[in-house]
Amino acid sequence: MTFLNNTINKVSNSSYYRFLLPILIFVAFALSIYLSIQSEEKSVFPELATDAFTFTAWINAGEDYLKDHYKWITRLVASYVKLGYYGFEDFLLDSSWLFVAALMIIPAFMVGGLKLAILFTFGIYFWGAVDMWEPAMESMALMSLSVLLSVIVGVFFGVLSSQSDRFESFLKPFLDTMQVMPAFVYLIPAMFFFGIGAAPAILATMIYSMPPIIRLTNLGIRQVPNETIETAVSFGSSKTQTLFKIQIPLALPSIMMGVNQTIMMALALIVLATFIGAQGLGAEIWIAIRKLDVGFAMEGGLCVLFMAIMLDRFSKALSAETKTLPSESQKFHLLPQDWDIYPMAKIFEKPLDIIHSIIEMTFKIVVGLVAYLSNKIVSIINADYGETISRFLNNHFYFFSGILILYSISLYDSIGPGIGQFPESWALSIREPIQSSVQWLTINPTFIAFTKGIRYYVTIYLMRPLDTYLTFMPWWYVMSAFVIISWISVGVRFAAVTALLLLFIAACNIWTQAMITLSSVMIAVFFCFIIGVPIGILASYSKRFQSINEVILDAMQTLPYFCYLIPVLMFFGGGVVSALIATIIYSIPPIIRLTVLGLSQVSVTYSEVSKSFGGTTLQTLGKIKFPLAVPSLVMGFNQTVMMAFAMQIVTPLIGGKGLGKEVFAGLARSDTGRALAAGIGICLLAIIIDRISLAYTKKQRDALGL
Amino acid sequence: MKFNAKTFAAFIFSSFLMISSFSSASAERMTRAVADWTGGMVTCEVAEQILEQELGYKIDSIVFPSGTGLWEAIADGSDIQFGCESWPSYAEADDVMINMPLKYDGKVVKEYSGDGSIEAYTTGIIGSSDYFVPKYFVDANPDFKDWTDLNKYKDQFATPETGSKGRLIGCAVAGWNCHDQKRLDLLGIDFEAVELGTEVAALAEAQAAYARKEPFLLYFWTPHWFQGAFEMVGVNLPANVDCPTYTEAENWKDCGTDAWPATGWAKDYTMNYMNPAVFAKPENAAAKAFFSKMKLSNDDQAIMINEIDKNGRDIVEVVQEWKDNNKDQWINWLP
Repeated sequence: MTFLNNTINKVSNSSYYRFLLPILIFVAFALSIYLSIQSEEKSVFPELATDAFTFTAWINAGEDYLKDHYKWITRLVASYVKLGYYGFEDFLLDSSWLFVAALMIIPAFMVGGLKLAILFTFGIYFWGAVDMWEPAMESMALMSLSVLLSVIVGVFFGVLSSQSDRFESFLKPFLDTMQVMPAFVYLIPAMFFFGIGAAPAILATMIYSMPPIIRLTNLGIRQVPNETIETAVSFGSSKTQTLFKIQIPLALPSIMMGVNQTIMMALALIVLATFIGAQGLGAEIWIAIRKLDVGFAMEGGLCVLFMAIMLDRFSKALSAETKTLPSESQKFHLLPQDWDIYPMAKIFEKPLDIIHSIIEMTFKIVVGLVAYLSNKIVSIINADYGETISRFLNNHFYFFSGILILYSISLYDSIGPGIGQFPESWALSIREPIQSSVQWLTINPTFIAFTKGIRYYVTIYLMRPLDTYLTFMPWWYVMSAFVIISWISVGVRFAAVTALLLLFIAACNIWTQAMITLSSVMIAVFFCFIIGVPIGILASYSKRFQSINEVILDAMQTLPYFCYLIPVLMFFGGGVVSALIATIIYSIPPIIRLTVLGLSQVSVTYSEVSKSFGGTTLQTLGKIKFPLAVPSLVMGFNQTVMMAFAMQIVTPLIGGKGLGKEVFAGLARSDTGRALAAGIGICLLAIIIDRISLAYTKKQRDALGL
Repeated sequence: MKFNAKTFAAFIFSSFLMISSFSSASAERMTRAVADWTGGMVTCEVAEQILEQELGYKIDSIVFPSGTGLWEAIADGSDIQFGCESWPSYAEADDVMINMPLKYDGKVVKEYSGDGSIEAYTTGIIGSSDYFVPKYFVDANPDFKDWTDLNKYKDQFATPETGSKGRLIGCAVAGWNCHDQKRLDLLGIDFEAVELGTEVAALAEAQAAYARKEPFLLYFWTPHWFQGAFEMVGVNLPANVDCPTYTEAENWKDCGTDAWPATGWAKDYTMNYMNPAVFAKPENAAAKAFFSKMKLSNDDQAIMINEIDKNGRDIVEVVQEWKDNNKDQWINWLP
């Protein structure tokens, strides 16, 4: 081994390397094409091995055993979770809508100011206006409980893994698998163990959404500077004290970021949980889709989207640090703060500021009054207590005035005339316009000619050749290519792991499907790259374009994919091309985001220097900024690949092929083993490519000295 | 751990929960799965209204996509106790889980010998499946009579993916065991069957093609809301003849061009299916008797489907209207 390593190092250091490597790659490629062409049929693993390796049967036997012997435990867990869920759901549904709205808007106002409060008001109005109040509340309850449980369990594991390196490395593969494993694979078995409806939905959501919080808790605690810990220890803190009093509080921003990501991921799964009988927005969308009612489905999708944006902004505002402004500048409530150079913006903001101060004053006065009264009353018994209570109330005047408002709403509802349903006169419907515009595009001859053109060229010149090339190439050749690449980019140990993982795929007899999945992902990522990078470059130059871009990207990532699968299919016809387009829509955001990030992170000095040496904008971009942004680009590429893999499990719904279809075929026959094998196949491919590109990023970063 | 009052209370509480979770399916309260296609919804709604209004049951419903998991959930019985209108040709689980003869009008239409974890009775709805072309295509090509003419017009049905062959929007789900490609090959129809993964996908493509007035060949079945919304004409595949050797166990040995899968489908006597243990309880005897007698007609269902999907009316209202006007029918279904 060391000999081989040395040779590799020697080769890579020598000057031949520059010439040798391209030639080697070319020869390998030419050989692969030759092998692929001269092979008569699709490459299959020796039957001897696939017959002996009955992974599916083992899994099914294991599942049956667990079902027969340990179901009562899972049912018990499920009944507790269900109890919590129903409690929460009943509370949300039985309270008047105004109470629930106030319950959400007031914290938003406290945390994020007027801007967030307006966003919340609009989102909540939208739920009611499109007549989705109840499903929205059900989804909200489902989500809150899964996020709460994820955070509790996740922080626990995060803290544990921050304390032990061994535990951390033990946990890592599990976290990787949890994130990449298609949720469909465990949704159905979860149902056998935990029943149907809310309980399995919540538990499946936890599996999917816990990894970020575990990782970020761990990271946050590990990033606490050593000096701080040493200081704490030198002052006589025990290990537990240091952990709870120093490390965890300092890690809070990182933990909050994890909470934010957990919320986003939970929301994505809540929609899928319809398949195991969870109620809420997902069920509404699914029923609408079944009737091909795109408009209705889109309304449901927008409800989910607003929920996502609201919760995202809320949790971000919660963890953001408050910036202190220079005393002379005016505080902005609605517009971006950096607009305060424009006089118009100042005029616009002035009345808002006045309203804001008036509200604040009223709150202060009312709470002050309450504080004064309670001070007087308590002072009769103990003057000190009265003083403390009064100070406490005054310091938290937002909180207590919020409680007062909520209290008066429920008082009005129960004693007064009552609030009733969401007012029907506020209703709003956008399903007609959406439906008719989809209809219009469907029959628009120019647009259909365009989609047909794409469909033709992509199928004939890209998908079919690549599919044939990969499936006909002998398995041992693909395998050795992967192993060599992982050897060079990561190391010997990972090369061995890669070989094992690929052998697993081959032995499960899903090699052909795996190659088709690989080919779909490659093509999708290729398109993401050639579309995403130019958009990213544009966005990095224009602020306005970037702000519009951000909104669209947010929407693409959080809109449930059911909503756009059907229109895509109506335009492009069912099959692999529609699957490809859906994959691109879903997985393009990271590459755009990270291109923007990479380009705008390049320090201004570099571009200045380049300009002062007479470099044009194009030269600066091509010669300076782009090379420096490569690590960021590779990172974006990596995330796009991951998302494209994740999408492979959804595309079979509209005619996609490969491992995803194998998962569905397994599930349709209640064959968990078969579905699991295919699901693991997707995970393994994703993990191999992830590791390779991460290692490549690291090398690039080191080389650039970043 | 200290054994204090709190842990004791928790213990009592959890054992109570455990017991209650086992027996939650009792009493005259039942949960049904809401089918995700209109026909199934109507059948279930009819059953629910009669069970609730005439027999005094309380029925809850859960939206549950058909297919995977639903049969298992009903066999388990703790969360869902019955489902409606399963189509034997497409149900994967029926052969495995039902162990009784399926009767229609007193005659046995299908024998089952599964493990008996599910019990089933016909709904009265009889489904039939075929390949369909849109009516405007037949109008434009009066020579087109039935499936034997498909090859003549295959160019009109070709797409980029299928090349010179025609495209059949086939059975969407492999689990439905349609064997579309095999049928096309045996009958010498030069078409390629595509499997789109979900029924929605197949119908979405058909709807889009219909809107563009393009010719398309679609596998589907009646009664279905699509039939009410779009005018379709069947291609009259040869009548169904069974082929006993065409099974996985016999390695899909076909019987040539005279028998399945070179023929059309058998009639589907659709069934309501339920948990045997729950329905064996004395308090549910009335419900069981009702299900064994229920016989909703295709025509009635089609009218209701049309009202719901074409005229956009509420399903509960439409079914209630039917029930009020057709007492002479459903009175016979009561125990």
